[in-house]
Amino acid sequence: MDMNEIKEIFFQECEEQLAELESGLLKLNDGDRDPETVNAVFRAVHSIKGGAGAFGLDDLVSFAHVFETTLDCVRSNRLDPGPEVLKVMLKSADVLADLTNAARDGGSVDEARSRQLIKELEALANGEVPQASAAPVEVVAKPVAAVAAPPVNEEGFQPVAFSFDDFEAAEEPPLMETPTYEIVFRPKSDLYAKGNEATLLLRDLSRLGDMSIHCDMEALPTLDRLSPESAYFFWKIQLATDKGEDAIRAVFEFAEWDCDLEISLASDEAASSDEELPMQPVPFDLSILDDEPAVSVGVVEEEEQLASQQLGNAAVSVAGTASNVLQMAQSAARAPAEKAAPAASAAAQGAAGQQAAASAATPTIRVDLDRVDRLINLVGELVINQAMLSQSVVENDTNGTSSINMGLEELQQLTREIQDSVMAIRAQPVKPVFQRMSRIVREIADMTGKSVRLITEGENTEVDKTVIDKLAEPLTHMIRNAVDHGLETPEKRLAAGKSAEGTVRLTAKHRSGRIVIELADDGAGINREKVRQKAIDNDLIAADANLSDEEIDNLIFHAGFSTADKISDISGRGVGMDVVKRSIQALGGRINISSKPGHGSVFTMSLPLTLAVLDGMVVTVANQTLVVPLTAIVETLQPEASAIHSFGANQRLISIRNSFCPLVDVGRILNFRAIQANPVEGVALLVESEGGGQRALMVDAIQGQRQVVIKSLEANYTHVPGIAAATILGDGRVALILDVDAIVAASRGQSLKPEMSLAAVG
Amino acid sequence: MASNKTAQKTLSLAPVLDLNEATTLHEKLLALKGSDVAIDASAVERVGTLCVQVLMAGAKTWEEDHLSFTFSKVSDAFEKTTQLIGVEIDHLVAKEI
Amino acid sequence: MKKRVLTVDDSRTIRNMLLVTLNNAGFETIQAEDGVEGLEVLEEANPDVIVTDINMPRLDGFGFIEGVRKNDRYRAIPILVLTTESDAEKKNRARQAGATGWIVKPFDPTKLIDAIERVTA
Repeated sequence: MDMNEIKEIFFQECEEQLAELESGLLKLNDGDRDPETVNAVFRAVHSIKGGAGAFGLDDLVSFAHVFETTLDCVRSNRLDPGPEVLKVMLKSADVLADLTNAARDGGSVDEARSRQLIKELEALANGEVPQASAAPVEVVAKPVAAVAAPPVNEEGFQPVAFSFDDFEAAEEPPLMETPTYEIVFRPKSDLYAKGNEATLLLRDLSRLGDMSIHCDMEALPTLDRLSPESAYFFWKIQLATDKGEDAIRAVFEFAEWDCDLEISLASDEAASSDEELPMQPVPFDLSILDDEPAVSVGVVEEEEQLASQQLGNAAVSVAGTASNVLQMAQSAARAPAEKAAPAASAAAQGAAGQQAAASAATPTIRVDLDRVDRLINLVGELVINQAMLSQSVVENDTNGTSSINMGLEELQQLTREIQDSVMAIRAQPVKPVFQRMSRIVREIADMTGKSVRLITEGENTEVDKTVIDKLAEPLTHMIRNAVDHGLETPEKRLAAGKSAEGTVRLTAKHRSGRIVIELADDGAGINREKVRQKAIDNDLIAADANLSDEEIDNLIFHAGFSTADKISDISGRGVGMDVVKRSIQALGGRINISSKPGHGSVFTMSLPLTLAVLDGMVVTVANQTLVVPLTAIVETLQPEASAIHSFGANQRLISIRNSFCPLVDVGRILNFRAIQANPVEGVALLVESEGGGQRALMVDAIQGQRQVVIKSLEANYTHVPGIAAATILGDGRVALILDVDAIVAASRGQSLKPEMSLAAVG
Repeated sequence: MASNKTAQKTLSLAPVLDLNEATTLHEKLLALKGSDVAIDASAVERVGTLCVQVLMAGAKTWEEDHLSFTFSKVSDAFEKTTQLIGVEIDHLVAKEI
Repeated sequence: MKKRVLTVDDSRTIRNMLLVTLNNAGFETIQAEDGVEGLEVLEEANPDVIVTDINMPRLDGFGFIEGVRKNDRYRAIPILVLTTESDAEKKNRARQAGATGWIVKPFDPTKLIDAIERVTA
């Protein structure tokens, strides 16, 4: 599972939580005071905050944090969720949804609005309840005297001790009666030996509610008989919490095997009168352990609740169907409620409209990927079957009637359409991957102390999901590489007359049936002297090798050329560009670099739109049928003897329109034959190799163009150097799909050495 | 409570009183047996149950020996943790501030 | 003061996820790739808490936990094990080896941070 997927799941959960949040708030608006409703609302915001934190979505986190703090006041009955309060909260829920959407899809958020709401939420948390009607604020914090009243602490906050003797008094404010649990907690020595700590468990327990505790020290011996790592203390605890027994057990989740734990619900009588233990009240401000702000207690009067109920009824009466509709309905129902405060209503209505528009987007269903894959496989088989059928009609019935031929043509057309449609199911925009990169840039920029701006273009370019999934990792490495090695430090940039902030531009576009992704930086470019020297030092090239600038630049993709020999904080062990190249090639893609000293580097990746089918040229080489990916072929030509020039021992060049291009005998390279074929008897396929240079691939004959279904050789057989994959032709024969780049690379070294082919094909 | 036998000895506690420190603290306290002792807990940042047990066992032992066992200074963290886990040390904390 | 977390996991993906999650939550993170490396970096890392995988080459999580618990200086460190909900037996073994607690996969940043908060002061 990669971060992308986690993030995807996170956003899915956000949607669910936002729906939960909204419906909970509307219930409160309707006068519902069930603590579980408040808890659900709190949890929704809390979990969005937690997830957002893990993904560095700072805006979302900071807003959710403020929201959560205010909700916590409601949860602990320090703030009554009256209509004015709920108005702020519902608006906050909208902003939270906007922020979530923005985090996912990159849209913008009304910052002024979110800042305003942060202020309002903070005001609520500080006890400043907005005064719609003349609702006096009654302070409920009446310390009750059955237990010694805890002292006022440094912050001047008067903690409220929960009193077991005073349930009548507790009924006075409109609070739910909080259940009280009696807990006996006896740690065993093992609990401490395994790194658990009773103090921490009790800390977490105290956070669940109001806790009184008695530590039983009866078992404690004198010092000379004490075994310092044995457990002697045990605790009897009374805890008033509305979170339930499960929450209490959850605190002891890690310790439950290493302690004895008894939890029971205290009856009122037992709690009030039969109190024999000298309980020591624990003030719930444990500021050393918990830094959440202490807030004074305030409850709004009942009249306001009635008002809230009326408004809430209006809102909820509309809601109540499927969730999408529900969301729209709620947003719409909220708008009238806003009119009480005209100042804020315009913004809120805008948001409601926005949300409605978002909900009205094309409906989607979630389908298990396996099902789509099975469909794709079946369509692949259908394509092959249809080709076989056509072929056998041609072979067996040379007088094929026109109706059969027409039917076959229609079948072919339909098959193709089905295939395209099925592929489209899997096609997705590269946006999520691109979005992820902005965070990578932030991180690596922080780490390296550089200032970087990431510009992305073509985020909506679609490509097969498999390609997208596999794109994230190489792209991440390349981005890191670009920021870490490509861009200079701000000082150096300024010294070179550039702006202190470096730019990394990530672009996606479709080009001739492939997706092309470009990563450009405006850094220093490749230091060719250094790269060349390193290549010589590592025995990658001869000291006197004559390489073009382009060839030098491309050396950085060579295995064993990793310049990252230190462990970097972000990527663990340094990852070389050879790994990036290999993963791109494993996707049937190509990558190359062009660099301008002083101006930066551009990495260009070209990837197939799908990994399932390929448009190919079917050719014959030494009686074998091969498929050459059409995308690699620039043109085909019939060489004339006069155009062939020998060069060196066994190199040949072909002259094409006044330029020379190396001639590569595919049959020789793949060891299909021992001697070079006569070029005049064959056909030359002019191909563009990854470095941009052209080569002429010699094949014996061209059979035709065809769309073929790719079958992985690695999965079904084993990796073969120079061969990218295999396919099944119409006549049922297996044909190999040529890896053009590997062939071209091998032509430089004359044969496909395993090491070479590994580096080239991966 | 005050003893007239020997001069009071002081034991300064380490900042982190975890599982590892329990044995050390136990030994240190045993070595002070027979003298009045003042525990300086002002540097304590973190204290675990095991060390509280050792200290309370010390208090108990000293009481049996009719010697004085006090906390001369306690840090916030020390006070809050003992309070949290329901261990009363007020009566052991030196009052002359 | 930042809490220091030592993570021990052989999967680069998980390591990256842990790193990102922990750094975002304000922890200082030290990473090791297996139990052997985990024990090697223990002194240098001097962590407040350890998060470890179970299935690892060279020295697995069980062995690593035992190694930490036998180390006189570092045996008090809370150790959280990355485990799957279904594998009760592994959880049990990890506990017996001296694990403090566990984090149930699939990886959930909130659960991770919560678990760490629970076992550290």
